[in-house]
Amino acid sequence: MAETTPELQTNRFFERPTTRRALLAAAVTAAAGGAGAAVVGVASRSGGESTSPAGDDGEAGEGLPPQAVETPMPDLERPIEDPKRWAAHLLRRAGWGGTEAEIAEFAGLGRDEAVDRLLNFEAVDNAALDARIAREAFNLTTPGRGLDGKRPPLIRDMQRWWLTRMAYTARPLEERMTYLWHGLLTSQVSQVGVQAAKQMVRQNELFRAHALGQYDELLQAVSKDPAMMLYLNTIESTKEHPNENYARELMELFSMGEGNYTEDDVRESARAFTGWRLTRQSRERPPEGLSERERAEWLDQMWAAWEPEFRLDPRLHDSGNKTFLGQTGNFGGEDVVRVILEQPATGRFITRRLFSDLAYRDPEEQTIDGLVEVWEASGHSVREVVRAILASDEFASMRAYRSLVRSPVEFAVGAVRGLGIETNWPTIEQSASGMDQRLFEPPSVAGWPGGETWLSSGTFFGRVNFLDAFLYPRGRPIAIPALADQPTPEAMVDAALRILVDDDVAQGSRESLYAFAATVPGGPERAAAVAYLVLASPEYQLV
Amino acid sequence: MLTRRDFVKGGVALVSIGTTAQSLLKGAVAFAAQNSATLVDPENKKTLVLVQLAGGNDGLNTVVPASDPAYRSARGTLGIAEEAVLPLAEGFGLHPSLVGMKGLWDAGKLAVVRGVGYPGQNYSHFKSMAIWQAGDPKMELDNGWLGRTLEKLESEEHDPFLGFNIGASTPDEMRSPRIAVPSVRNPEDYGVKVGGKLGDPAHARTATMLKLYEQYPSSSPYGVLLETTAETAMSSSKLLQEAASAYTPAVEYPDSSFGSGLSVLAEAIVGDLGMRVGHITLGGFDTHNNQATGHTGLMETLDGGLTAFYQDLAAHGKADDVLVLTWSEFGRRVEENANGGTDHGAGSVLFALGNGVQAGLYGDAPDLSALVDNGNVPYTTDFRRVYATVIERWLGVPHAELLGQQWEQLGFLAA
Repeated sequence: MAETTPELQTNRFFERPTTRRALLAAAVTAAAGGAGAAVVGVASRSGGESTSPAGDDGEAGEGLPPQAVETPMPDLERPIEDPKRWAAHLLRRAGWGGTEAEIAEFAGLGRDEAVDRLLNFEAVDNAALDARIAREAFNLTTPGRGLDGKRPPLIRDMQRWWLTRMAYTARPLEERMTYLWHGLLTSQVSQVGVQAAKQMVRQNELFRAHALGQYDELLQAVSKDPAMMLYLNTIESTKEHPNENYARELMELFSMGEGNYTEDDVRESARAFTGWRLTRQSRERPPEGLSERERAEWLDQMWAAWEPEFRLDPRLHDSGNKTFLGQTGNFGGEDVVRVILEQPATGRFITRRLFSDLAYRDPEEQTIDGLVEVWEASGHSVREVVRAILASDEFASMRAYRSLVRSPVEFAVGAVRGLGIETNWPTIEQSASGMDQRLFEPPSVAGWPGGETWLSSGTFFGRVNFLDAFLYPRGRPIAIPALADQPTPEAMVDAALRILVDDDVAQGSRESLYAFAATVPGGPERAAAVAYLVLASPEYQLV
Repeated sequence: MLTRRDFVKGGVALVSIGTTAQSLLKGAVAFAAQNSATLVDPENKKTLVLVQLAGGNDGLNTVVPASDPAYRSARGTLGIAEEAVLPLAEGFGLHPSLVGMKGLWDAGKLAVVRGVGYPGQNYSHFKSMAIWQAGDPKMELDNGWLGRTLEKLESEEHDPFLGFNIGASTPDEMRSPRIAVPSVRNPEDYGVKVGGKLGDPAHARTATMLKLYEQYPSSSPYGVLLETTAETAMSSSKLLQEAASAYTPAVEYPDSSFGSGLSVLAEAIVGDLGMRVGHITLGGFDTHNNQATGHTGLMETLDGGLTAFYQDLAAHGKADDVLVLTWSEFGRRVEENANGGTDHGAGSVLFALGNGVQAGLYGDAPDLSALVDNGNVPYTTDFRRVYATVIERWLGVPHAELLGQQWEQLGFLAA
């Protein structure tokens, strides 16, 4: 089978010449400042039969032997046929999954309109979320437990804060992109330091502000982000002793990928970041006569008040010439980032990453070619690349459908959103460890490896035991509005399957669920039992 | 069309990392190929425990060339004084915190391999780790080196603990499309809970849930992975609980996740769960700054854990059957940096520990006056020689096929 793959790929583009062109057309319109998505959507809706307004690109439709047209489309290249299923897929990937009403609503929209609605989130009112966040009064600033010992732990509250945002935002793609950047432009709160943990909140707000912006602005900004500068040792780097940590990860993980630069490039660019510093905390000392606890609290408050700003210390900066990726100049860190963003490797690396996170892993090179054109034509606009991905045939194909393993965050947030559960995530910290994903604490600078690594025997128990704890706080079933009013066990199972797994389960599973649901008393008890089983099902472990 | 059941009937639990039937077919081919190999000694029950020191351990401050002037001049603040190291031989000494390891050296249970590395050192954590995990700097071999080895060790009985990992997810060196490796972080959470307590697997809700996994077709996305994960989880949970009830540690393990993880490995060994390869990770070795404090703490954790593990196994009569091998993706640069730390380096050291070890220093000492890549320790001993030695002399499997070529073995294990 493996030997025939290239041929299938050729046929695929031959048979459906619109796919690649659709992406290219998006690039053209995006570059012209127009609505690129319209072209993608119209072109791709009906697979092989549709035509593209962008016209024939001359390489797919002509000059190939006609028998290629006869080759049946491989199963995975088929479009997701049911519009509801496609809508649910879109809402999972571009957000955290939809409610039954949202799925129905998006299924009724055209492909481009649906994608547009997610993309143009700035216009969406998020006041309800803001009010909820204000009400919860999470501790997002101050380490330590306070003089009365009652202050909520900072890092736990940071996790609860972000999960609350994900679960109740009216702008799911904004949180999705924030999460994607957190996994790519990674920092770990344990390394930034518990005292400075609030800098991770600031970094998170940076990702949110740049969720769909120009990548150049994001990469420049994150290079000067306090948490990042603390995490990758930028603030310790001097002219005499440049620290290579940031320079290396910037190229390896945040832009070009390994193999596109040399060790000399690492060393030279590290020199450009020397002298990059943050403004200090207050130089005040704790007043005399404080008890040990008061002194600790005084210091905690000092950390909470710290609002570091970027500064360049000219005495520590190496202002000599650097030769980096073939260019020579008296480069500063900003110049290094700029040169990196000019590299073709960066466009390929970032578009591949976006596609792999949003659609499926191991995309064909041609797919990336199309995205790189969007990237270039739009001046490195994340919004346009994401638009091209979400509206593409590839995204709407069975190759993408259920092709990714659901991360623990997607697992938990999808349940809350889909089922309309009210929670402020009281026990999430422990459960997150069991499932092996703690927000603000990815396992390394490379982020979460994802994919099949989410599933092991240990995390299998982590997931089902999260459900056991979450669905039965203090031993009593949680309220599940989306299931509560279903009159029969069968109706309740059917509703859960529609909302959570696109009504698409293995043969026999529905009957097994009916049988079990019938043994549980109706009302909240049955709703929690049904939710547990559908959320624990193999189908729900995938997105 | 082959089904998942055909594979399970063959006595092998399979985990597909792919999403299509294609990977199943690949698995079938590998299974057939493996079944024809009969070179593995069925009587060999020896266990390898691999300890990953993640982040790049500073070999120079672990096994210290204390009298080498090049070391002394490069390590102005981080250098460990000659009189402080715990002397081994040839001018080398252990980090002062490795007190228990020194005792094991004196008792003839500890071997050190120096100058371990590979051609074309990669200075990225992830790439270099991937190279060690694959056992192939060219990254052309499939899966992990221990995953390939486990395939050879797989028997008709299929022990779910053949490979056993302490941690949340399968480490890449143990990956194989055909072998599911249980991963345990905390045994108290390793099972299906009902009402917050580890429950009876026959509980109706749990039984229904497992039915969903049984009914999920192997041809569906991640079909084999999902079902074998659930199956492995359930069977290994049961076995581990049985082993736990029959095991009492003979020593007190250090109060750290490394210490408690080692005690779970000991529990599996003492409980005769059929483990041939165990894996545990100690992280934090990326000591770019404040290394004097950080690295010392890590050495204490390593020493306390491995010493307790050895003593526990010895007390349970298992020390003859277990070999501990450490590894790290690279060493650190010879010259310390301005932050009291060291940057990513090249050649490093590793330890082999156990009653089966022939104590001593192996691998030539790297020449610190002939550094490579702007100040890094040149490797003298390809890490695949270590792997070859362990695969063949300890696990009893011919190594050439597993490592893609024949390697000269080292003497820290008897031929």
